[in-house]
Amino acid sequence: MSEHLFRSFMRMEDLFAQLSQQAINGLTIGGVYALIAIGYTMVYGVLSMLNFAHGELYMVGGFIGWWVLQLFTVKHVPVMNGALLISLMLVIAMGGAAILGVVIERIAYRPLRTAPRMNLLLSSLGVSIFIQNFVLYFQGAKVKVFHVSQLIPDGLRSFEIGGVVVSFMRIVVIFVCFLLMLLLTLTIKKTAIGRSIRATAQDIEAAAFMGIDTNRVIVSVFVIGSALGGAAGLLVSLLFTQVDYYVGLQAGLKGFTAAVLGGIGSIPGAMAGGILLGLSEALAVTFFPSAYKDVVAFVILIAILIFRPQGLWGEKLREKV
Amino acid sequence: MKKFSPSLVSRPNTVFILIFALSLTVIPSMLPNDYWQSVYAITGIYVMLALGLNIVAGFTGLLDLSYIAFFGIGGYFFAFLCSDHFGLHFPFLLAVPICALVAMSAGFLLGLTSIRLRGDYLAIVTLAFAQIFKLLLLNLDAPLNITGGVNGIYVFDAIKVLGFRILTPEHYSTLIWSCALLVFVVSFKLKDSRIGRGWNAIREDELAANCTGINSVRMKLCSFATGAMIAGFAGAVFASFQDSVFPNNFDFQQLVVVYCMVIIGGLGNMYGVIAGAVVLSVLPEVLREYGGLRMMIYGASLVAIMAIRPQGLFSAIPALTRVVRRPDKEETGVLKASTDLYYSSNETPAVRADYSRQDREILVLDKLSMYFGGITAIENLDLTLHKHEILSVIGPNGAGKSTLFNVISGIYQPNSGTICYRGRDISHLKPHKVVKAGIARTFQNIRLFNEMSVIENVRASRFCRTGASFLSIIFNLRRHRQEEEQTDAKAREILAMFGKRLTGYRFRQNVSQLSYANRRRVEIARAMGSEPEILLLDEPSAGMNPHETAEITEFIKRLRDQYGFTIIVIEHKLSLVKAVSDRVIVMDHGMKICEGSYDEIAGDPDVIEAYLGKKGKRDKTSNS
Repeated sequence: MSEHLFRSFMRMEDLFAQLSQQAINGLTIGGVYALIAIGYTMVYGVLSMLNFAHGELYMVGGFIGWWVLQLFTVKHVPVMNGALLISLMLVIAMGGAAILGVVIERIAYRPLRTAPRMNLLLSSLGVSIFIQNFVLYFQGAKVKVFHVSQLIPDGLRSFEIGGVVVSFMRIVVIFVCFLLMLLLTLTIKKTAIGRSIRATAQDIEAAAFMGIDTNRVIVSVFVIGSALGGAAGLLVSLLFTQVDYYVGLQAGLKGFTAAVLGGIGSIPGAMAGGILLGLSEALAVTFFPSAYKDVVAFVILIAILIFRPQGLWGEKLREKV
Repeated sequence: MKKFSPSLVSRPNTVFILIFALSLTVIPSMLPNDYWQSVYAITGIYVMLALGLNIVAGFTGLLDLSYIAFFGIGGYFFAFLCSDHFGLHFPFLLAVPICALVAMSAGFLLGLTSIRLRGDYLAIVTLAFAQIFKLLLLNLDAPLNITGGVNGIYVFDAIKVLGFRILTPEHYSTLIWSCALLVFVVSFKLKDSRIGRGWNAIREDELAANCTGINSVRMKLCSFATGAMIAGFAGAVFASFQDSVFPNNFDFQQLVVVYCMVIIGGLGNMYGVIAGAVVLSVLPEVLREYGGLRMMIYGASLVAIMAIRPQGLFSAIPALTRVVRRPDKEETGVLKASTDLYYSSNETPAVRADYSRQDREILVLDKLSMYFGGITAIENLDLTLHKHEILSVIGPNGAGKSTLFNVISGIYQPNSGTICYRGRDISHLKPHKVVKAGIARTFQNIRLFNEMSVIENVRASRFCRTGASFLSIIFNLRRHRQEEEQTDAKAREILAMFGKRLTGYRFRQNVSQLSYANRRRVEIARAMGSEPEILLLDEPSAGMNPHETAEITEFIKRLRDQYGFTIIVIEHKLSLVKAVSDRVIVMDHGMKICEGSYDEIAGDPDVIEAYLGKKGKRDKTSNS
């Protein structure tokens, strides 16, 4: 009897360890989802459009990181300090994604500003297809592997805390995610451009009448959103040490789910939604076969849209008649 | 004079039917080898798929990204029913309808969950469904092998259709293009029916469609399910032709290909869509060496078309589009200055009756209140409307007049109070039910179905007075024919009430080409189309010049005096109010501040205060 109790206690402890492991995993991936969701939510905030191509920026961020890594490593050994190289990858990936985001806005969205929303949506779908297949054509379908093991000093590759294994990369990812979110929050709250963004999101016409250059605001929203998307792509590629041309679609859907979960248009909502989604996915993996992990996110998305389309923290909007 | 009397029911272009017939019989025997035979067969599949998607995305304007999943469901169910996989060997002619029905039910179920979502949300949810479908296809091979996983399912039964064995690609070509012809005819029939008009109306303006009596949720579901059915049908035929099904046959890329076909052809333009499907199926075969660039080009062309020609490439071909201009000939063929033709011979229809106000109350609002958050739009409003009465509602901006209409017509649900129409509580009815009950409205900021013609706008409003079912339309049964005739006659009768302004060549003009005043008139005509008892006119003379205002004033009077409508009109132009109203209600801050004849309210101190401010108030403010 007591042995039985003891064994079930052991199992409880096992479960607890597993749950904390998954919580860490969930937090990492949740931070990444939050970064992607911010891009969706900000663009939606100012333009009321769904940027289908946002997931591709994530993918492009990963690819740019891979190129930088190739450029600065010889036989998988970095030619500079590991931390410096990771920062360099991050900066270039964010910059590249931001430039791409601005180009997309200029070519595919700006001419359609007054067109029906369906046209805008189809245009962004076209952009998404184009980028995906552009990368496929010039980079091939093969998975690009990140050889990052040499970037991290030997003793630091992973830690074990109370039965929970945390890799160094995971800590980097969590750290960068939260740093970027903090920076974004400060930018939105404290700076002039942040104020213009908030004003434009409330009412684009009124903002224009108050002397805000709304085109500039829209561009800056694309810059910020795309840079964060690119950063997310790079971080995930570093974590799972691989990237391919097809990851954008899935990641985009997840990011969108996170944005909707938190109430689309709200930046804090997107952050919270991302982390919540990451945690629920990680929890689901504990109980379901991992092949169906993605189903969880989609079921959440569908349920939220049907039962609470304004998101968990959003306010209900009424159509103007 | 075809231009003056457009035929009752438009029929498929004879040239087009001929081309189809040719493609059925001649082309398969002309093609050089089996390779081109199969390209030709696949083209037929794509034509079916594109026509099906055209119903959902083109006619109804729903961005359905799970469309390809229904194609997959059709294909996989065919694999289940006609192979050794489960040991079921259904005959082809039984299996294909089953596949189509299964896909349709799936579409219906999916639609039930997501159809209430608007535009981009619908797109993303359907995309998520498509992703789940793909995941299931890939993973349902263990523990029980259902879908065959990555390897798919292959080797199906040889099929027989009406005693003919279908073996070679040539046989398949004929079979597939016959199916495509079937799909074409079905979607043509639907387009020119009450259902098709309902779909178009929803695409143009969903709220206005609701307020015209169209049950948008049901019609969107219907569109979704019809698209799914056609996709499932195409999927089954495709599976049989390919003799195998793989998850990759039904992935996102395929969906994009079909979307490109529909968009290059022009959303809603059936001939264009078919042309798009043919071009995009054959062109990649010709340009094989650039195969890697294919999807890239598709993506870029989506962006380019949306920016430059959102109506599609094929709408430029004159034979496929009809621009209606003002004719310079009379019906008899005599050349005439077009303006003369336009304004001459204003024959007024015979006066049928002379209606005047009765004492019977037909609409009673009791203590109606409506709040938006902390803002009070309407508070404790009591209102009665008598049969054959013209009641004007006036008041300063923000007084709650339009909100009143929105509450009566079911767009908003009142927070408290009731609206009784002929003894029936209609305060919680949906807009389309309110119209069906007998109350139709116009909008302050004109909400017409812009890309539809004048007569189609009015015909669309007959939706709630007709009931021909799907089958009745497809098989052209008597109910459908009778209703179509009636719809057409009614629409013409109503438009004729506006004299030459909206008749003749105007019938086929898009309402977006009309002048502002004419668009207001079409909106009134559309509201009349559902044969309501009560008309709610929201600022009918807004934006009109004095001449036009005088005309519309006369018309509003005629609406009651000759045609017997009971009318509530919101107006700012007091000349109109004075001329038409039996009774006037003045609102301010959501409350009724005065009620009576025009002369009574014109002298009321409260009304003067609401409009001009309090006497002496100005002195006070200038002092402070």
